[in-house]
Amino acid sequence: MPVISAGYIGPSLTPNRHALWEEEELPLNVDELVNEVMGQPMRRAGRFIKMVACGGLTCLQSVTLDYLRGKRTGIFLASGLGNVDEILPFITEVFKHGGGFPSPNQFANSVSNAAAFVLAKICNVTGTVLTVSQEELSFESALWLAQSYLECGDIDLALVGGCDIFTPTVEEYRERLNLCCRSTRPLPMGEGSSWLLLGRNEKRGLGHIFAVDFADGKVGSESLLENARTVFQDHCPSGGSLKKIFLPGFRIKADELNFWQQKGWAIDDYLPCCGIHSTAAAFGVARVFREIPGAFFIHRNAQVSGRQAAIFGATKQP
Amino acid sequence: MNDGEIYVRGWGAVTSLGWSAAEAARRLIAGEVAPAGACVSSHLVNRDFKAFEVAYNGNPLDKAMAMLWSALDEAFAMARLSADEIAESSLFVGTTGGLFIRNEYEFTESVRKNPGKDAPPISCRNRGPGEVADLIAGQYGIRGMAMTFSMACVSSSHALVVAADLLRRGKIRRAVIVGFEPLLNMTLHGFASLLLFDYDQCRPFCVRRAGMQIGEGAGVILLDRGKSFSSKYRICGGHQYNDIKSMTSAGIDGVTVSDVVQHSLNAARVSADDVVAIKAHGTGTRDNDLSEGRGLMKCFREKLPPVVSLKGAIGHTLGAAGAVETALWLSCCEEGVIPRSFGFSQTDPEIGFAPLQQNIAARNGAYLFTFFGFGGTCSSYLMIKE
Repeated sequence: MPVISAGYIGPSLTPNRHALWEEEELPLNVDELVNEVMGQPMRRAGRFIKMVACGGLTCLQSVTLDYLRGKRTGIFLASGLGNVDEILPFITEVFKHGGGFPSPNQFANSVSNAAAFVLAKICNVTGTVLTVSQEELSFESALWLAQSYLECGDIDLALVGGCDIFTPTVEEYRERLNLCCRSTRPLPMGEGSSWLLLGRNEKRGLGHIFAVDFADGKVGSESLLENARTVFQDHCPSGGSLKKIFLPGFRIKADELNFWQQKGWAIDDYLPCCGIHSTAAAFGVARVFREIPGAFFIHRNAQVSGRQAAIFGATKQP
Repeated sequence: MNDGEIYVRGWGAVTSLGWSAAEAARRLIAGEVAPAGACVSSHLVNRDFKAFEVAYNGNPLDKAMAMLWSALDEAFAMARLSADEIAESSLFVGTTGGLFIRNEYEFTESVRKNPGKDAPPISCRNRGPGEVADLIAGQYGIRGMAMTFSMACVSSSHALVVAADLLRRGKIRRAVIVGFEPLLNMTLHGFASLLLFDYDQCRPFCVRRAGMQIGEGAGVILLDRGKSFSSKYRICGGHQYNDIKSMTSAGIDGVTVSDVVQHSLNAARVSADDVVAIKAHGTGTRDNDLSEGRGLMKCFREKLPPVVSLKGAIGHTLGAAGAVETALWLSCCEEGVIPRSFGFSQTDPEIGFAPLQQNIAARNGAYLFTFFGFGGTCSSYLMIKE
């Protein structure tokens, strides 16, 4: 699948740029980002919806919305946790002693696919619009689904992204992601909204996604490396000059990083730029397409249950 | 019939009418349908709401899990799947609330056990909608794709349409589609805050309708490529559409609904004249039933087949509605009956038809299913009884 454009926003809320941020200062006010990307405020939308809209439009900036006109476009929004930011204050009002006043607007915003609706409306997309969730493999699931719709010709373009936002407290946020010291590398919690625009036959663009593979926990690093060699030979037969880069998801342990380094792969540890969030893979992949030309890459992550996913791709030669 | 066609191999459901789709169908056909009652589950804080609750002697979290396993066990037993066949299946869950019930239950238990103390802030500890699929995959050893659609009222109907698409393209071997929606304070209060809740009765397509009533449920549909064993229901014409005109309504002129249904009929190569009956979404809200009623009239005109909403009998099971209502409908068909629609008393002149008011024979042919949800989502498909 050709990647036509990519955009990433991390916890510093600086589109397509990495800026310093601190976990204890999260979440930052998103309104400045909305003004910058949308050109106007989104007064009735919650933070999750704003982040989805800004991430999607950041991805489309280099091609403009006109690029979608006349093409059958699908939107595939991935989110591990959905709109907890709206759900928590709503349910707090419901449980208020003596009766609270739950806001209808907050309830409407809390429905996960409200964000996809807003993005679809902005992009004028009426066909396939799906909101997919599968914990830390949400983005990979959405990408796999988009790939199958593109391959069969149901759609011409797919706007695929992942969005999860920081919700206090840090301890509860970590619990929602099922994190403990043994299941992840020690990294700060973060957030992001990162997107790819994929096509079917486009020549222009930033590179390609070749495959999205899922497997159970029995598949080890050696086996993944063998898969990578096959994919590399199939798709880049004359690509000997490409850098080989391994992007580790937040469940990937330090000893696996050593394995890939020993096999001659550079490690692009993008997580310090975006922090841990369920759809951090979207940030890592969008960022590699924008920042690291001439690379063959693998992104790998896993669930605590052992299910794992790998994304294989290559970025365009400089 | 050929191997490229997609058949239902098994199904199961838990609703307020019973702990299996078969039991619920028999009650529905016999007219043993109780109206929604005052909420009794220990985690529900407002007893003014009426809902279609599943009967259970135990805490609501245990009940939710029991509903899920019961629906899956019923479906797997009907399909007679081996452990290997289950393992190679893919899983598509449709849910909005997921296991949010755990947060509500733990909070209300904490308050109950600490009388006189200030209530703690409610924690949100569930791992998002995808947690349900992860639990199911672990419980049954499912190793194919697993993904969750969190798309309000079309969550599991969209899951079913997507799963059928993927089967047809050969991307997956077999599909387990699950709809799961335990009763939550969040949704009861949410729909009440939107003034979409009828405190008295759910009355789909009736001129006196005033809103929805929520039901809880779990439903499972197993899809397989090619006809096997005793499968006789073929799914075709699956269509999912996103209407960007309004977040909350499919348009009361009926045009969107008509277009969605026509698309399904065309894709299935089924003429409107050949539709035996319609399992409508029929929520009982002013706008949904007006949109849907006008859309169906626009599409079928004077040849409108019998229209049934199941929500007068089991409530609106929200994201589970696709799987739950399909499973219940298929069990009714197995009994040879299309069930009547409950909660109706008087035709709405703006809609122009009454939903089916007496049971009729479920003959072979095409049955249309429609679902419409928040966020402009529409799904429809046909089940062909062979």
